Amino acid sequence: MKKLKYLFLSALFLSVSAFAQDQNEKKERQPGHTNNNKFKQLYDEFSTPNMYRAASGAPGSAYYQQQADYKMDIQLDDTNAKLYGFETITYTNNSPDNLNYLWVQLDQNMRAKTSLTPLIQDDAAQPADTPGNFANKYLTDAFDGGFNIQEVKDTKGNALPHMINQTMMRVEMPSVLKSGESFSFSIKWWYNINDHVNGRGRSGYEYFPEDDNRAYVIAQFYPRMAVYNDVEGWQNSQFWGRDEFALPFGNFEVNITVPEDHILDGTGKLTNRKDVFSKEMMKRYEQAKKSYDEPVVIVTQDEAIAKLSAKATKTKTWKLYAENVRDFGFATSRRYIWDMMSVKIGNKDVMAVSLYGKEGNPLWEDWSTKAVASTLKSYSRMTFDYPYHKAISVHAKEQGMEYPMICWNYGRPDKDGNYSDRTKFGMMSVIIHEVGHNFFPMIVNSDERQWTWMDEGLNTFVQYVAEQDFGKWYPDALSEGQTAYPSRRGPAANIVRYMGGDQDYIAPIMTKGLNTYQFGNNAYGKPGTALNILRETVMGPELFDYAFREYANRWKFKHPTPEDFFRTMEDASAFDLDWYWRGWFYTTDYVDIGVKEVKKYFVSNEPNAEIKKMAEQRGMKLSDLPPLVFFVEEGADDFDTNLKGKSALENSTTLNEYVMDNFTAEERAKIKEPKFFYKVTFEKPGGLVMPIIVEYTYADGTSKTETYPAQIWRLNDKEVSKTLATEKEIVSITVDPKLETADVDTSNNSWPREMKASEFDNFKQQNKN
Amino acid sequence: MKKIKQLLFIIAFALFSFTSVHKYYVSITQIEYVKEKQSLQIISRIFVDDFEKLIRNRYDSNITLNNNEDEVIIDQYVKKYLLEKIDISINGQAKAISFIGKKYDDDIMYCYLEIENIASIKSFEIKNKVLFDLFDDQKNIVRTNINDKNKTFVLIPEKDKGLLNF
Repeated sequence: MKKLKYLFLSALFLSVSAFAQDQNEKKERQPGHTNNNKFKQLYDEFSTPNMYRAASGAPGSAYYQQQADYKMDIQLDDTNAKLYGFETITYTNNSPDNLNYLWVQLDQNMRAKTSLTPLIQDDAAQPADTPGNFANKYLTDAFDGGFNIQEVKDTKGNALPHMINQTMMRVEMPSVLKSGESFSFSIKWWYNINDHVNGRGRSGYEYFPEDDNRAYVIAQFYPRMAVYNDVEGWQNSQFWGRDEFALPFGNFEVNITVPEDHILDGTGKLTNRKDVFSKEMMKRYEQAKKSYDEPVVIVTQDEAIAKLSAKATKTKTWKLYAENVRDFGFATSRRYIWDMMSVKIGNKDVMAVSLYGKEGNPLWEDWSTKAVASTLKSYSRMTFDYPYHKAISVHAKEQGMEYPMICWNYGRPDKDGNYSDRTKFGMMSVIIHEVGHNFFPMIVNSDERQWTWMDEGLNTFVQYVAEQDFGKWYPDALSEGQTAYPSRRGPAANIVRYMGGDQDYIAPIMTKGLNTYQFGNNAYGKPGTALNILRETVMGPELFDYAFREYANRWKFKHPTPEDFFRTMEDASAFDLDWYWRGWFYTTDYVDIGVKEVKKYFVSNEPNAEIKKMAEQRGMKLSDLPPLVFFVEEGADDFDTNLKGKSALENSTTLNEYVMDNFTAEERAKIKEPKFFYKVTFEKPGGLVMPIIVEYTYADGTSKTETYPAQIWRLNDKEVSKTLATEKEIVSITVDPKLETADVDTSNNSWPREMKASEFDNFKQQNKN
Repeated sequence: MKKIKQLLFIIAFALFSFTSVHKYYVSITQIEYVKEKQSLQIISRIFVDDFEKLIRNRYDSNITLNNNEDEVIIDQYVKKYLLEKIDISINGQAKAISFIGKKYDDDIMYCYLEIENIASIKSFEIKNKVLFDLFDDQKNIVRTNINDKNKTFVLIPEKDKGLLNF
């Protein structure tokens, strides 16, 4: 059978390619070019593998990472909204290099009066300003939220020379820090805590005028070690406010002193629970450890309300200890309600925790802790078992920000406790997203300052999987009429508007976050969707999930680069994806594939016009031709309508003779007898190469879907053709029928061409009905 | 000017990210001239929470958008407000806009407007003051596709008009 099919194909292409050659003879000689094939290997873009980072994408044999351990005493001045701190950092140089100095990050300096951040905002040419903006800019003093560094000393109390360059501080040591050595030093500081609702920021307080209280969500509150590694040396990219953080791992011992009536939770294990919990809280906490279905309230709404008017003057110190974390955050207020629930991860119990003010209810008491637990289960399945002992979701207005074991999330009902679907799913999605960040980048510790997409994109992708799980596991969380969780990012169709948009305002994913135009789409939406398409359409979940898990496991508690991710995905799946990374991650190309033309052919005994012409040009007689099976196009001048409805064997004596000579009677009985032959030409106006997914529908109403791998485009990036031999007539052809490739223009996706009504016309029509 | 435009886009889209949830105010209006139908088709995308705030401040403090109640009265407010705040002149003549309807998609409200019986367009002018009365730093982005030419305007309170000549 294979032979027979091959014969047809060669007959068809024999004529076409012979003519193409003739026409090319008169063309001018073209200039040469470099390799611009879409399937070219990524050798130019990737760094050369080495001892630190292997070609497989795994950590190399000489891989190293630095360690920074912290001991801190922190004091919150609630009356004046100031934070005072003293820390001892022990920095261990595991690199093979000797270090002359250390760099410490002072992120709060982005809010200093001398910050350069406002100066890079391009607002100079504005012809006029509103009075409000004008007053803020020119008539009032800017808020000074920078660090006040009071001392930097070694362990003997000697001052260390240091120099502050914006959000970074260089500290000089008495002697060179040799490979393998550690150095301890201390810093004393304070700063004014910012109002994160009005002043904006990832950390700060929300003020509640009705009861004159604050809720604090505190992070970037201490001078933090910068990363030194084999790809960057010392980090030298400042914190301008957008690109987040690069941080080494270490152990944290943190004592935080707050008003006595506050409750507090943060990164790490609470080591003095008995000192800070009442007996009743202890009892409820023990219950929560055994409750796997419903959260147990540790501090109730009534208890929180009772504390609002009489503010404590005494203080209490909460002691936290965390191992192998890259950062530290905490939340504290007398306004918080507190609930907890256990969740089984592997053979371990993890505590899912929520902290929220009364204005978060009823939404928060219903869903926050359950969303935390569900997220840990989904992410653990997609990566590795969640290694920490708890995960906390804190309610903070207009926030969505992540730290190890703790995150801040928005989503607040109105004053009467009513909320829309938008508020509800916004809140659930942000919790799933921020809790998910525990995996990327808190544990798989990529460099956020350089590559926003490496944590946001991967996290947005797993978030989609986790949201779909959450909808299945908690159907009560869905609204009436919904059968699945309404994920905003993930489905291919949702990225079409961005990818098909104005090229002046799109940057490739492989762009530093600060320099991208549409941050959300660039660093979250597109990479998240690209991975989802890779999983569901290009590789299939089985191959993808194995490789993705391999990446997560290879790099947990380590520092991966983009190449480590790209290489591992290929290494663990035997799937050469260089073309996919190149197209989706290194360019702003988009998908647009369509059906250009469909021609119908019949098999014939008679040489067609093209063959006749060819024979004439070569001075051959038709009788000189070897036995051939000819194709004739339906509707062509030499088409004979008698050919219709008959099989290939009936229409071609040559073929019939060949079959009689080469097949036994038994084989002949099984032979397929295709009646219809089509040449389908696919066009690709879009720059991205993708598999062609085609649905062929036959006259009897049945259909068949065929996927041609992306490599079909390797020799012609504009158009390719397929010849089909079928027993049934094809009545329609649709490219990407399930909208799974993010095709930006579907008007060319079908044959016969469907005149699809525009979004506007559709709406107008619906509205009339 | 290009730089300012780029900046506005940076600001406009920061809204969509999670870890940077700073609130910026923006609407996007897509305008397409379909010559065969002699119709100017307008789709305006406005954030639901912004418009809810507007309706509460301007018309009725008890209204909640997208909760399947009050949609008839909300339609009336949306129509009244948009027709007041969007002015379009074609070939130097002010045109009456008809409000077709609106729908919600997640956190965005899509508003459909149309101007019919437009035989040809030689000049086009739009004024879009939507939400300027509520937010000082509101930006209204207008994208046009007229006579096969694409153009993007960013309208702000100090410059609320865009003009095209063909």
